[in-house]
Amino acid sequence: MKNGTLPLARGQNLTVLIWQILTLVIFILVWEWTSINRMIDPLFIGQPSKIFAYLYDSTFGDQKLLKEAAWTLWATSWAFALGSLGGLAFGLLFVAYPALERFFDPLFAALNALPRIALAPLFLLWFGLGVTSKIALGTSLTFFIVLNSTVAGARSVDQDWLTLSRMLGASKTEVFFKVTLVSAVPTIFSGFRLGLIYALLGVIGGEIIASQHGLGQLLSYLAGTFDTNGVFGVLFFLAILGVTLTQGMTAIEKHLLRWR
Amino acid sequence: MQISDKSASIEIEHVNHRFGDAVQAVSDANIKIEAGEFVSIVGPSGCGKTTLLNLLAGLLDLQEGRMTVAGKPPMAGRHDVAYMLARDCLFPWRTAIDNVMLGGEFRGVPAVRRRDRAIEILGHVGLAGFENHHPKALSHGMRQRVALARTFSLDSPVLLMDEPFGALDAQTKMQLEDVLLNLWSKERRTVLFITHDLAEAVMLSDRVIVMSARPGRILADIKIALPRPRSVRALQKDPQFHAIYAEVWGWLEQALGNFQGDKEDRLSAKASAVLTQSLTQKAEE
Repeated sequence: MKNGTLPLARGQNLTVLIWQILTLVIFILVWEWTSINRMIDPLFIGQPSKIFAYLYDSTFGDQKLLKEAAWTLWATSWAFALGSLGGLAFGLLFVAYPALERFFDPLFAALNALPRIALAPLFLLWFGLGVTSKIALGTSLTFFIVLNSTVAGARSVDQDWLTLSRMLGASKTEVFFKVTLVSAVPTIFSGFRLGLIYALLGVIGGEIIASQHGLGQLLSYLAGTFDTNGVFGVLFFLAILGVTLTQGMTAIEKHLLRWR
Repeated sequence: MQISDKSASIEIEHVNHRFGDAVQAVSDANIKIEAGEFVSIVGPSGCGKTTLLNLLAGLLDLQEGRMTVAGKPPMAGRHDVAYMLARDCLFPWRTAIDNVMLGGEFRGVPAVRRRDRAIEILGHVGLAGFENHHPKALSHGMRQRVALARTFSLDSPVLLMDEPFGALDAQTKMQLEDVLLNLWSKERRTVLFITHDLAEAVMLSDRVIVMSARPGRILADIKIALPRPRSVRALQKDPQFHAIYAEVWGWLEQALGNFQGDKEDRLSAKASAVLTQSLTQKAEE
């Protein structure tokens, strides 16, 4: 509804934006000032100017941050792809053959209820310290999210659409792929968006626990060496990364679902 | 295309239908519709008219009696039957033309032929130029026009229509009734048309069948002797139309009267009172 925004509302949006920026600047200044005067030990809260210096150096200097981010993103992409494909495939099978869902339900319910990060030690044992164990952890999170959204989306298909398709002479396969599946796409996409963030979460979690590469490993190392500015820098970078991923997904979704 | 062979007739003999133990929806229905005939069924809500249509469509299983559509027992998805609902049921992810082509796609009509047919029929329903619009960009009336085009783009000789204009405002409804009359007069298909709007039934049909409320029984089968081609707008001022309307209305009043005598079913009686009121208003207009 961005086009329909009234001039008044747009003016209000601008006011809000100005206030947001102003608040942020004041917050950073107070933070900097608190840190310089050692009102709180900078070991705990860092110092904004040094955080930005770290971000600058590790991005444009030795490019440490970018190199580690590449490892993390590589693992996240794999985790997302495997988890989504698996979740989608199982979701579609469950919708097509409800008996299969009843069969798998207790197992999947138990696995889904399990805090996935608890599987990390097992994955490390099975897949080693390398990128594979991180992919496995991310996949285990994404899988169930996409599975659930696929099933939910396909279940909520309009019954009249099914009746009409039947009357028009559609076969069961046609109804499944051309009606049920397509109508579930919006719900599946919200699963994808959430699944992507959780793939990142799984990978970072795995890297923090035990790894040689990745942003999680970097975070863990910086915290271990009491480099608080570095930790804040990486966190800041991660927040931007997360937002970028979600925004990218939303853009794809908007393009594919422009009929909505 | 002139369909006048016996192959498109509908026969209903001694059909009874119950929902559970308590509700007798249809009681001993006997209807014969010739090929190329336009027949409407009117009656208060709950009189079993939609049940009859769904039985013919093969969406409900026949419990008692005999029913044939084009000489064969009903079955959902038959290529010689087209079906239309009050809801447009357009797929929001498909453009108008892609929605119209849906039936042809399911029935294996070659792509070029179904596209030509869709463009032609969208022109007939007054939507030339709107082919590539998605349903969200169309008004209610336009969406129902697309649904009408989707139904007519199939060359099924039998059309089953369940209150197709029931959800439209009065003016849009009149426009679409005219569109339907035009389409139908081009290719004279067999139509069974369910409605609760008596004026609509009289204006469109060759015959109007009046059903009573629960258990749904056929009260009257009235031939509508208005000459064709008809125009919905012209009929509004036609005394002959009003005379026939009054006759059919008499029967419908009887259906409602019987119904209101039934004290056990107050809620439905209330519904039929509302119907009586709206019909009376229409008669006065």
